[in-house]
Amino acid sequence: MPASAAADRYGPEGWSTLTTSQRLFDFRFAFDHPVTVWLLWTVLGLLLAGGFAGLILKCTRGKSDPLAREVLVRTASWAVIVVLVSVPILLGAFWAILMVAALSILAYVEYSRVTGLFRERALSWAVIALIVLIGFAVLDHWYDFFTAIAPLGFLVLLAVSLGKGDPRGFVQNVAIASLGFLLFGVCLGHLAYFANSTAFRPLMLLLLVAVSLNDVYAFICGKTFGKRKLCPKISPGKTIAGAVGAVVLTTLTVAGFGQYLLPDTAAMQWYHLIACGILLSVCGQVGDLMLSAIKRDVGIKDTGSLIPGHGGLLDRCDSLLLAAPAMFHFIGYFNGIGLDQATCIITSPN
Amino acid sequence: MRDFKIQPAGDLGVRLDQRPVALNREPGHIAHLIQSAASLGVKAYLRVWHRYSVHGREYLPQDPPFVMIANHSSHLDALALAAVMPARQRSRVYPLAASDTFFANTPSAALSALLLNALPVHRRRCVHYTLTSLRERIVGGHSILILFPEGTRSRTGACGTFKAGLGRVVCGLPVPVVPCWIDGASTACPPGTRLPRRMPVRVIVGPSFTLAHVSDDREGWETASHRAHAAVLALRPDRDVPPPGLSTRIQSEP
Repeated sequence: MPASAAADRYGPEGWSTLTTSQRLFDFRFAFDHPVTVWLLWTVLGLLLAGGFAGLILKCTRGKSDPLAREVLVRTASWAVIVVLVSVPILLGAFWAILMVAALSILAYVEYSRVTGLFRERALSWAVIALIVLIGFAVLDHWYDFFTAIAPLGFLVLLAVSLGKGDPRGFVQNVAIASLGFLLFGVCLGHLAYFANSTAFRPLMLLLLVAVSLNDVYAFICGKTFGKRKLCPKISPGKTIAGAVGAVVLTTLTVAGFGQYLLPDTAAMQWYHLIACGILLSVCGQVGDLMLSAIKRDVGIKDTGSLIPGHGGLLDRCDSLLLAAPAMFHFIGYFNGIGLDQATCIITSPN
Repeated sequence: MRDFKIQPAGDLGVRLDQRPVALNREPGHIAHLIQSAASLGVKAYLRVWHRYSVHGREYLPQDPPFVMIANHSSHLDALALAAVMPARQRSRVYPLAASDTFFANTPSAALSALLLNALPVHRRRCVHYTLTSLRERIVGGHSILILFPEGTRSRTGACGTFKAGLGRVVCGLPVPVVPCWIDGASTACPPGTRLPRRMPVRVIVGPSFTLAHVSDDREGWETASHRAHAAVLALRPDRDVPPPGLSTRIQSEP
């Protein structure tokens, strides 16, 4: 794509003008936005760095060194995650929405096994059906329905639980099902809803990269400077230095990429970008703490064994859960998301 | 309101490829779908091909946990017993199956786990780990076990002696043991048959008993075997009595 064409598409408003089918399916626009390309190079560089670090450790410390093995396994898992997540986003909004819906369902399934909710078969399948329904609302670009599913879905869960006809464990089952529905249906649904913006590729990638880097920053800063624990009862590994370092570095990352992504209109100033970064970092860390608290409460170490070196899927996407809706509404408030795109594309096509 | 009692899946964190042979396995959403479909198919097959019927269904406890025991003379037995349970409880039914036949290699282990929801038990060695995890499963309260105390299929169709395995699993636990008699499976599909013959199969369920007060030692296991054997044999229908009289005959027993 010649530079001038891209400049036309991302004109003074910063948003491209795409038709619905181009947004959903046309992968020729994949590398249109410069931020998409920069983010992908960044991720590729980090993966290569991780791989090299692992190889160097392996050479210097010997083949069976546990740290070298750990670094290599983790990097390999990261590489697979990056491919599975970024390819659908690059292919088009349809595939991106499908990917997030699949992620939501898999994460919920793992959550249901952690909390034991999977034994309540009807209730558990009702949550999955609601997650699918949210995916449909997102794909349809029907925001009213998307917001309506939260209260109405709660109603459905109550009704299904009552339908069992046995009050034993009613409060527990409804509470756990509602938490799962809110976290994996409603909250992750906001990540999918970014796909209705024409700039969904850089937006979604920036959110995913920033949230992942936030974890990495917290880990590195904590290891380097950390002394005082953040909240030792919930997560003994986290330190105040790690949390503060992550907020600073993530804010720089978000503001750095964001100034090329979020248009420099009157509504969105540089301090908004700073606020955006802080919000993302804090929400990411709260999500992380939330999963730690759940795991401690239940009494388990990992939520599953799906990703080698990382544990379960939830261990990996916990920080995304709360950051996605926070970012969505922050950006939505100042810029709007997908306002120039056709709505209700399935339910009332023109 | 009761206190929340959060019990994660027993096999949480077990790698996917090791799940079929994990004794603490609990079927997730995908396995539940497969098992529901399989049990529908099995029920239809039993009804059409074997004119399957159940007597004494009212003796079944409403909720898990409980242990079902029966005479064993055919591969149809586990299917026939599992089909007694309503569909909503299908994924809570775990037949104990010989690990040397049903879990000999990875494909058969996966099939046994996904379709039958079977748990691998070694016939000769009673491994301590196996027994503790089965007892934990009963105490956990979400499972219905199917157990054939004879330990192998009878070659004659008659009900042989019961082994100590049953006692080692349930002695001292307050779990109902439901005796059943499977009638007709030994003629419909005796050991060595390739295609089951079109003969009727019926299951007779009897009143449950518990072995909570029987001690968990060699003596207790023997008591358990005797009591269970007597309870199962008591259900054996008299060939001379026609089926309609059957239920009244069972109900009149203590």
